[in-house]
Amino acid sequence: MKSQDTSDRFEELEAGRILGDLIPSEVQDWKILSANPGNQADLSLELVAAALDAEFLANEDTVLPEELLKKLHNGISEFVNAEPENAVIVRPARWQGLLASSKAAWSIAALFAILFIAKSFVEKTSVDPESLMATAPEKASSSEARKTLISKAGDLIQSEFGGTENYNQMSGTVVWSDALQEGYMSLTNLPANDPGAKQYQLWIVDPGRDEKPVDGGVFDISANDGTAIIPIRNPLMVTNPQAFVITLEQSGGVVVSKQEIVVALAKTS
Amino acid sequence: MILLRVAQGDERAMEQCITKFGPLVWSIAKRHVQDHSALEDIVQETFTDLWKSAKRYNPAIATESTFVGLLARRRAIDFARKENRRPQFEPLPDADSLPHASIESSAALRCESKDVRAALKELPKETQQIFFLHFDEGMTHPEIVEKTGLPLGTVKTRLRRGLIDLRNKFRRLDSGQSPSNP
Repeated sequence: MKSQDTSDRFEELEAGRILGDLIPSEVQDWKILSANPGNQADLSLELVAAALDAEFLANEDTVLPEELLKKLHNGISEFVNAEPENAVIVRPARWQGLLASSKAAWSIAALFAILFIAKSFVEKTSVDPESLMATAPEKASSSEARKTLISKAGDLIQSEFGGTENYNQMSGTVVWSDALQEGYMSLTNLPANDPGAKQYQLWIVDPGRDEKPVDGGVFDISANDGTAIIPIRNPLMVTNPQAFVITLEQSGGVVVSKQEIVVALAKTS
Repeated sequence: MILLRVAQGDERAMEQCITKFGPLVWSIAKRHVQDHSALEDIVQETFTDLWKSAKRYNPAIATESTFVGLLARRRAIDFARKENRRPQFEPLPDADSLPHASIESSAALRCESKDVRAALKELPKETQQIFFLHFDEGMTHPEIVEKTGLPLGTVKTRLRRGLIDLRNKFRRLDSGQSPSNP
């Protein structure tokens, strides 16, 4: 393909990426072409799409829900006041520091080193386009869905959870697929929580995608759970998770964790 | 210029920003996401992004609403990538492959409201129709297919090429040429 043809093709695919309509073969082409230094995407097409959105939607008679408006104003004043000195917002440096800390609360680091070598494994292979299209069975139980994920994911990441000081009786595993954006935790001996007061919340540390850890969803553990299989519910795409961290938060979870109660950690690298 | 004040850490400006752009962010998120709680998350994440990235805003390159729209669009599409594993559409490439939203790229361009309308009128009629259905009425590709009777491939091609044509027209506007000049 000539250079101009290649450039035109990349541009068309880039437009498709922004519009969200690439098919699997086009994604493969996009990946190949975007690796070419001459085909570096810029913001121009994305800006045009954003300008169109702004033009057509700015004058709509839309009103933010009252409750959300309150949350936004309260939330903004919180982080405006806290940042940067008080570091209430969880920053990657803090999470990474937390992961790397050698202090007492993280004495499990050594354990993780052993667990990581012995039990964790990371397999990243080329992704079959068909597998990217696969949809998890919506009605399957979490346990069945987890088994299906383990059997079908070509890029499965698996790592062991270790509990912190007050949760050192717990054990667990996390499995995750970047390609499928799907994952599950299998957790044993995690104390039951009162959902009205406190809830567990998963955070996915992916420094490559964002400064903040990605919310992996709020979940409960009941007294009868034994080993609970918890699906990961990440609203945002995760592309290279470095760790999965469980915290205990107020009922309903939080947008930004203060890490007051860190329950468990699973490192993938 | 609210964003310039936000960039200086002006909390009051951030409140004004929420009031001014909140409905736009909400509307963009709604175009891509149905779940109410996810919508709220996207709006909050977008304003968090805005607070953090306002220093990168360059008024010479993008209008404030375009800048905010870009952040909202990225957040919403990022979510939709995960949710919309529909058989006919591939989840989009990794988010970290996106250029940084710094609006500093020399290839970026300023799109004023009047320019958007003017440039749209320069597109072929059939492409204009598809653009209005998609961006104004919020129709998905399959909905446009159903409405127009056009093949899916035609809808996709017209949207993609139309977006590229619009970008090229904006660039000509930026360089002082008429949008219709080649």
